[in-house]
Amino acid sequence: MRAFDLYVAKDSRDAVMLLAKHSAVSKVKVIAGGTDLLADLKFSAHSPNVVVDISRADELKSITVTNDGLRIGALVTHSQIMRSPVIQKMFPALVDAAHTIGAVQTRNLGTLGGNLVTAVPSMDSGPTLMALEAIVSIQGPEGRREVPLTEFFLGPRKTILKPDEILAEIIIPKQNLGKPTHFLKFGLRKGQALALVNVGASFWVDEDTNTFVAPRIGLGAVAPKVIRAPQAEAYLEGKEITPEAMAEAGRIAATDAKPISDFRASAGYRKNLVAVLTKRALEGAYALAQAKR
Amino acid sequence: MVTVTININGENRTASVPAETTLLRALRDNFNLPGSKLGCDVGDCGACTVIVDGKPINSCLMLAAQAEGRTVLTIEGLASSNGVHPLQRAFEDCASLQCGFCGPGVIMSAKALIDEVPDPSIPQIRDALGGNLCRCTGYVKMIEAIRIAARAMRGETAEVNR
Repeated sequence: MRAFDLYVAKDSRDAVMLLAKHSAVSKVKVIAGGTDLLADLKFSAHSPNVVVDISRADELKSITVTNDGLRIGALVTHSQIMRSPVIQKMFPALVDAAHTIGAVQTRNLGTLGGNLVTAVPSMDSGPTLMALEAIVSIQGPEGRREVPLTEFFLGPRKTILKPDEILAEIIIPKQNLGKPTHFLKFGLRKGQALALVNVGASFWVDEDTNTFVAPRIGLGAVAPKVIRAPQAEAYLEGKEITPEAMAEAGRIAATDAKPISDFRASAGYRKNLVAVLTKRALEGAYALAQAKR
Repeated sequence: MVTVTININGENRTASVPAETTLLRALRDNFNLPGSKLGCDVGDCGACTVIVDGKPINSCLMLAAQAEGRTVLTIEGLASSNGVHPLQRAFEDCASLQCGFCGPGVIMSAKALIDEVPDPSIPQIRDALGGNLCRCTGYVKMIEAIRIAARAMRGETAEVNR
């Protein structure tokens, strides 16, 4: 790794002040869990002159339910998500997604915020949070701003974060607390694999008519960024919940997906995976909804 | 350069290192603890696994400066004046290592697991070793050793069916 100067931020305000100061004159990177950044820096020709360590900003490490919804600090680790009683109860899909990331050692270091900020299209945190219409709270020198997660990603490894901003919190809005949600990932092996496709699906059930209410589908690894499947969602809205409707939504989601072919899988194979995983994720969410009745 | 003080294997140790130094490099080069291995250096192989504040992590993915004030346990911290740790004993008894390169990382992962789950199931052990790559011995004898060690650490002396 090439040499850089390291500045340790005391808290999130200190972090953005350090970023504002150094990004004006230097190439700056932020380190939290380090699992993405350090692996990148060791093999990258481009190196930062300055690294700002935000891992001591303890106010970004909590999981709380407030009037706005479920607030997850950006520095919450994947292990912390898996162990959180609140998340286990409200969103087992987030626990499942966290469990598919890396291995124990990387889950103990890696943070939810880091997974999002790295903005790799195959990120395992993305699809479920998309399906839950998550909002991100961004801290800058002037304060916080909130943006829907759908607007946070610009492309592979690109987000809307400015050089003097950090991701502070991820918020699942109040109206979606406890919404039945299911996450599925298909990788080439069980451990430490990048997703060929990953899917998060959520919907409420209208008990009287047994119909889909507010169906939301998030897809990963099938576009330059994590996306929603708008056509499949529109198809399901208000429709009676049947195996046929879920299968058809899967087929439509495959047309929402715009995957590429690479050494892991062809575009056609990924589209087929979208169809199957979307159907199964919808089935999983429905099973959860019925279990909650 | 940054000056770091880390509690390593029960002792406060201080060193001045370049900011980009990983905890792994500091352990090996500055603190003379070469038990943690440098394998892939990107968090895939787990040979560098150490326990920081009770949790197993890849020491190649943490800056030494990020370990400031934390408590680190490495493979060198397991044995005591009473002899080797039950995990080390069981790995020897079961012939769980051939080349041994992955061993320190595997044993630290197993230690962290047993500290949290005193009676781990085989799926729990497999999950705990998901970040430790062994390319020669394989995992069967490791899992066997971890179950035997867990029993010994619970104070049960009965032999496990191999």
